[in-house]
Formats: sequence, structure tokens, C-alpha cells
Amino acid sequence: MLKIKEGSLQHWAIRIVGFALLALLVIYIPTQSETARIGQFASAFTLIIAAMSLNMVLGFTGQISLGHSAFFGIGGYTAAILIRDHGWSPGYTFYAAAVIAFVVGCLIGLPVLRIRGAYLALVTLAVAVLFPTLLRWKKLEWLTDGAKGIDSVKYDDLPVWPILGELKGRDGRAVFSYWLGLLVLVIVYLVCRGLIRSRVGRSLIAIRDNETAAAVMGVNVTRTKVLIFGISASMCALAGVLATLNSGVVTPDGQFVTLLGSIIFLLIMVVGGAGTLSGPIIGGLVYVWLDNTTRGIGTDSSGVLGFVFGWTDQSPATLILGLALIVIMLFAPTGLMGLLRKLTRRIMTIIPRDISPTQ
Amino acid sequence: MLLDVQDVSVRFGGIVALDGLTFVIKEGDICGLIGPNGAGKTTMFNVVSRIYDPFKGRISFDGHDLLSVPAHRIAELGIARTFQNLALFPTMSLLENVMVGAHSQGSVGFVQAITRIGAQKENRRIRDVSYDLLRDLNLEKLAHHPAAGLPFGTLKRLEIARALAAAPRFLLLDEPAAGLTHSEVDELADTIVAIRDKFKLTVLLVEHHMSMVMKISDQVVAMEFGRKIAEGTPSEVQSDANVIRAYLGGEV
Ligand SMILES: Nc1ncnc2c1ncn2[C@@H]1O[C@H](COP(=O)(O)OP(=O)(O)OP(=O)(O)O)[C@@H](O)[C@H]1O
Ligand SMILES: [Mg+2]
Repeated sequence: MLKIKEGSLQHWAIRIVGFALLALLVIYIPTQSETARIGQFASAFTLIIAAMSLNMVLGFTGQISLGHSAFFGIGGYTAAILIRDHGWSPGYTFYAAAVIAFVVGCLIGLPVLRIRGAYLALVTLAVAVLFPTLLRWKKLEWLTDGAKGIDSVKYDDLPVWPILGELKGRDGRAVFSYWLGLLVLVIVYLVCRGLIRSRVGRSLIAIRDNETAAAVMGVNVTRTKVLIFGISASMCALAGVLATLNSGVVTPDGQFVTLLGSIIFLLIMVVGGAGTLSGPIIGGLVYVWLDNTTRGIGTDSSGVLGFVFGWTDQSPATLILGLALIVIMLFAPTGLMGLLRKLTRRIMTIIPRDISPTQ
Repeated sequence: MLLDVQDVSVRFGGIVALDGLTFVIKEGDICGLIGPNGAGKTTMFNVVSRIYDPFKGRISFDGHDLLSVPAHRIAELGIARTFQNLALFPTMSLLENVMVGAHSQGSVGFVQAITRIGAQKENRRIRDVSYDLLRDLNLEKLAHHPAAGLPFGTLKRLEIARALAAAPRFLLLDEPAAGLTHSEVDELADTIVAIRDKFKLTVLLVEHHMSMVMKISDQVVAMEFGRKIAEGTPSEVQSDANVIRAYLGGEV
């Protein structure tokens, strides 16, 4: 087994090689893959961002939220309304969505985060259930277009980056979605990392591990919980903006705007590894991959699959996806990230830098 | 007087856990707080750390009215404590546990953390201080080990290190010797005196190991049923008739 000192030459070498491989992959996908594949990655980025935002609240701070689909929806609707009705350029809608979702998140968080455990799950679930109803509400139709939602969100001022792939035409839209999604993902990841690796992050984990002790150490528990909820809501809204820009449509029964969305974010976070920075990335990629590979299965319902799934009128894809996720959870209860860590620990350990110069 | 507790009463439903408790602690002293199980010692700690609200009474700490201060401001005032039944952060390493203890010594908030202004520098400073504290309590070899699963005695010492990270003036120790062997108890007694001197602390010590309390305390307060039954130097309290009766000829 390899033992590597933190900050040593080898450690840096591993980091640089890893980063270079990642960069190559990131450039390879939009330049060499087919359009459908590029689009799948773009939607994976959206889901990863949403799962990352939930991870800050649930994975790191230990406060469950089933209401994140509402924040996703707030982002989606903010972008749609501002672009279609007010002629905003898409870039600025990110800022607007982030601010609106932050305020709404704090306003919801302030009363809600005093509740704990199963009750918090219930109250946030109510938020998720109420949100689509609110969108369909007659008195809000002037804003949300009611049940039919907002479609044809068009924008044509795409920036042209010649190196990053062809951006014109249909292909161009997928490539654009890819790079835009990646950009937002990187920003959100860096924000999360900055938070976690600081005094704030330590206080979040402290709240998760032992709220009373955290307060005794000087952590303002209520304030911290509300602020992280607000920040998380605004990150989730960015994912919603991306989804609207990618598809051009947002409706009250869109998959991620309803409770199902919250559950998918939760699933991605848990499968990837709750309370780890990169967990949602792995979870999101695996989810989208499974979703796409299982979707085609059993459409002709013949052979073994037809036999196995013949008893239900559900699409086999959903069931296979669910089963696959259960299997992952059985083999990796700490998520795929936990599994990955265990495996790398077999190969090498990073020895932390000797701290403290005294003595 | 550093701590001035006046007529403090706490009720849990029908139970009166503290019943007009009054005592004072002089700056720099080690004050032993003794009493049979259920006397209200831990409740007293929880009142001082603002976890429980008394329905009657006043507490002043260094001139501040403690009962008007919220729980998260207590550390800033210089009050730190350990917990009788451990209240550590199990998923964090020992080092990180101590770093959380230094929360009140840092200033990086959400904006600085996101923009990374000064966050690295503060991390390094707090890491160094925390590592030194682990060394003071002979825990540095376990610095990167998660807190979960270590022996009780080790974790008790970790609680002391974490409390010290807040750079307190007043340290409350709730049964730090519980679960330790005889020689470890002696060692702990020396450690407590040493940290009192090194960090210029005032200590409130709850302990059932009478010999240890009597050896290192400057002053002892004895409680029973939420009330003070005796107070004075260790030898005075040891020979007090009420104390002897309360312990029914126990160790005292
Ligand atoms: N949160 C609570 N809810 C209800 N009753 C409580 C609570 N905390 C303490 N009590 C009660 O208050 C009384 C005093 O308890 P406390 O824990 O302060 O005693 P103690 O002196 O610390 O005892 P020990 O030596 O066993 O630790 C006990 O009767 C206890 O049952
Ligand atoms: Mg107690």
C-alpha cells in the first residue's frame, strides 16, 4: 500500500494527473460525442447541482428537506417569466432566481427549521406538494400561465466560443447547455467547498452531529440553519434556471417541479454519498446513466424482461431503475463515494501534513 | 466574584431540580461541586450554559447578567464546559472536534467562506491551536482519528481539549474522571491543576471521586435535592454533619 504525505511531490503529481484526466474528459464529451449524449450530460449537471444544494442542508447540516423541488421550480419559473415576458437575457435570470430563492428559502426556513426530524420532513413535504398547486392557482395565472405552464422560452443571443464546439443549430444548443451547466456546476461546487472547508462548514457538521454541543461551542444554531437553507434554496434555483434554458419549457407538473423532483434529488444525494462534496456528482451521473439505459428496456416486453415485468403495467424502466438504486444502497450504504474511498484507501493513504510548528 | 449564583430554581414538570441554589466562585479557584445522584449538579451546568432556563433567580458572570445572554454567546463570554455523558461530534476527527471548540475564537462567516477571504489563514491558526491542545491532553496521536468508537476515558479528555479551545476563563467539568482507573484519576487531577495554572482558569468541578475533589479543590459546595447543604474548604465540608448524612457514611 502506498503512503503519501499531504503536500508532497507525489501528492501533487496525483492531483495534477487526476485534474488533467478530468479536464480531458470534460472537453472530450461535447466535442466528440453525439448530440443526445451531450444533452444527457447537460441534464445530469442540472440534477447534480440540485442534489448538491440538498446535500448542504441534509447531508452536512442534518436538516431534511423534501421541499427542494419548489426551489427548483422557483428558478425555472423566474427564468421563464423574465425571458419571455420581460425580455431579459438568460444570463441575468440566474442572479434574479438566486436572490428570489434565497429570500423565499430564508422565509420558509425561519419558522420551519425549529422543527426536527420526521416533522420537518412532513412540513417541507407540504411545501413541495403545495407549490404546483400554487402555480395552477387562477389568481396567479397572469404570472404562471396556470396549468399549461410556460413554453417557448426563446433566446437567441448565444455567445459563440469557437473552441468549445459548434454552437449554431440544434447541435449547438446541446453544446451550449453542456458548457453553461458545467460552468454553473463548477461555481456551485466551489461555493460548497469554500463553505465546508471553513469555520462555517465545521459549524454545519457540528449541528448535524450534536446540536446542543454546537450551541455551547458558540454556534448560532438557528441563524446558521436558516442561512444555509437560503443558500441551498438559491443553488437549487440555479438548477431550475438551467432546466428551463435547456428545454425552453416549464410546467407545474414537470418532473422536477413536483414532489418527485425532491425525491430524485434525495436519491442522487444518498446514492452518491451524503455529506461528501463530490458524492452528488457521482450520484447524478449514475442516475442519468441508469435512467437512460433502463428507459429503452422492455419496450417490446418480450423475452425474460417481458416475463419478469409482465405482472405490472408500470414501465419496466422505472422499476429497474428503482431496483438498481436499492442494490447500490445495499452494497454501499455510505453511497458510492464511501465505496470509492474505501477502495482508494486499500491502494493508498494520504498522511496529513504535520501540523503545528511548535516543539 | 467571577460567578455569582443567587436563588436559582429549575423545575421539570413536577420535579424541582434546583431549589433556590445560591453560591459564589472566586476567580482562579477550583470549586468542587458534590452531591448524591440527582442532586442537580448537571442541571446547574445546563443553567450556566443557558440550555435550561430557571424560573427564578439570578446569575452574574464577571458582572454580566448571564440569564439575558443566549446560549451561543456564552462561549464568547469565556465559559466552556464538558458533558457528563459526552456530547462530541462523532463523525469528526479529534482535531476537528477541537476546532469546533474554537468556534468563538474565529470570525469567518458565510460571505468570507464563499469568497475565501481569510478562511485559509483562520483554518491554519485554529488548526495549530487545536493541535497544541490535543498535545496538552496527550491525544495528538489520534488527531485524525474519528471521535466515534474511542474509549470513554479518551473521549472525556477530548471534551476537555475541546472546551479549552474556546480560550475560556471559566471551565465547567462534569464528572471528568468517570470511567477512569485509579492511576488515571490521579493523572487527571494533575492535568486539571496544570491547565488551571497554564490557562489561568477558574474551574467548577463536579465529581464523585471524593479524594480527587478534596485534593484539588480550593472550595467545595455540597448539594442535595437541588439545595446547597454545605460550603467551605474541603476539610470543612468533609466533616459537615449534613454532608455525612447525605452520603450515609459513604466515601466522605
Ligand atoms: N431534562 C430533564 N427533564 C426532566 N427531568 C430532569 C432533566 N434533567 C434533569 N432532570 C431531573 O432533575 C434532577 C437533577 O438531575 P441532575 O442531572 O442535575 O443530577 P446530578 O446531580 O447531575 O446527578 P448525577 O450525579 O447522577 O449526574 C433529577 O431528578 C433528574 O431526573
Ligand atoms: Mg450529572
